[in-house]
Amino acid sequence: MMSDTPEVVKKVFAIFVVGILIIGFFMAFTQMPKGNAVNVNDTVSRFYIMKDVDQATQMLDKGTYFNKDMVPLRNDVPYTPITFGKSSNLEDGAANVVTSIVVDYRGFDTLGEVTVLFLAASGVMLVLHGEKRKVPKKKTAPSEIMYVGTRIAFSVILLFGIYVFIHGHLTPGGGFPGGAIIASGILGLFLGRQGYSPNKAGLTVFESLSGMAYVIIGITGLVAEKSFLANFLPTGTIGDLFSAGFIALIYIAIGMKVGSELSAVTNAMIVDTEED
Amino acid sequence: MITLFSTLLVILIVAGGFVAVFSKKLLSSVISMGLVSLGVSGLFFFLQAPDVAITEAAIGAGLSTAIFIIAMKKIQKGGTNDDE
Repeated sequence: MMSDTPEVVKKVFAIFVVGILIIGFFMAFTQMPKGNAVNVNDTVSRFYIMKDVDQATQMLDKGTYFNKDMVPLRNDVPYTPITFGKSSNLEDGAANVVTSIVVDYRGFDTLGEVTVLFLAASGVMLVLHGEKRKVPKKKTAPSEIMYVGTRIAFSVILLFGIYVFIHGHLTPGGGFPGGAIIASGILGLFLGRQGYSPNKAGLTVFESLSGMAYVIIGITGLVAEKSFLANFLPTGTIGDLFSAGFIALIYIAIGMKVGSELSAVTNAMIVDTEED
Repeated sequence: MITLFSTLLVILIVAGGFVAVFSKKLLSSVISMGLVSLGVSGLFFFLQAPDVAITEAAIGAGLSTAIFIIAMKKIQKGGTNDDE
């Protein structure tokens, strides 16, 4: 709107916009599905519906997955047990069920989560950009043991973080914990040496590239499988390192992104602290 | 055995929470908050959620404690509440 428009016109325009938004909001309710027609037995494994642990253990001991009085979930699909290291070409192929849901079935959700973390980190770095840096003068410098020890520990911590996010589809862990572990190692480097500063431009470029890699993997899924973030790689044998399709790729991207983001946040805070 | 250890962890968590709330020194509050995170991470591990346990240990006990301490150093030099 122009600056010389009368106040009334502006108010009418604002009321119009808000009214359209409200109408659209309430129209969404009329379009929603009823939600009372879901048969839970169709979609979820019986084993997870049955909350009785004793009964489940008994069934596992007897070797019978289904009880006699229990109806099989679907009659058209025979029950085939999944064997670790043998079953191949499964729907998802990840040995870690949490990762399989977080990255594969709910991949778009994880993309939003990464975006939330990115926004938080950019907010911190907007406020504390860590540019104004003078020569730090601290009374107690870290000792030689601290200096050497944090450097030795950093290599081990970095290796462990990389292990956690590369093996995200096999063992517990994944991109977020792996990145946080790497950032903790970099925090140790900060504590060990006075005036330590990582390459800020490198961190930024690294983070942007890995964030872009996530979206590019998603778009590749869109091209190959006609759905954004669809698993376009073969799933392989369950339990192998090269299995579960693109989960490992996405977790490598997330791990690098989270690690560089949290390191940049720590860098911004610490460097600004040592300013005086 | 696991029950005993979990009980000890819960006691640790509650005690850490009390210290974090009622302590006069800000630094001990922050460190006991890290302790609470560590105990919660152990509990998560016993409740068969190792994913969450790893994340809680790395972020709750490691990074957020450090960031709290850095922010505390930035705000005030001493770290005590009652000497102003």
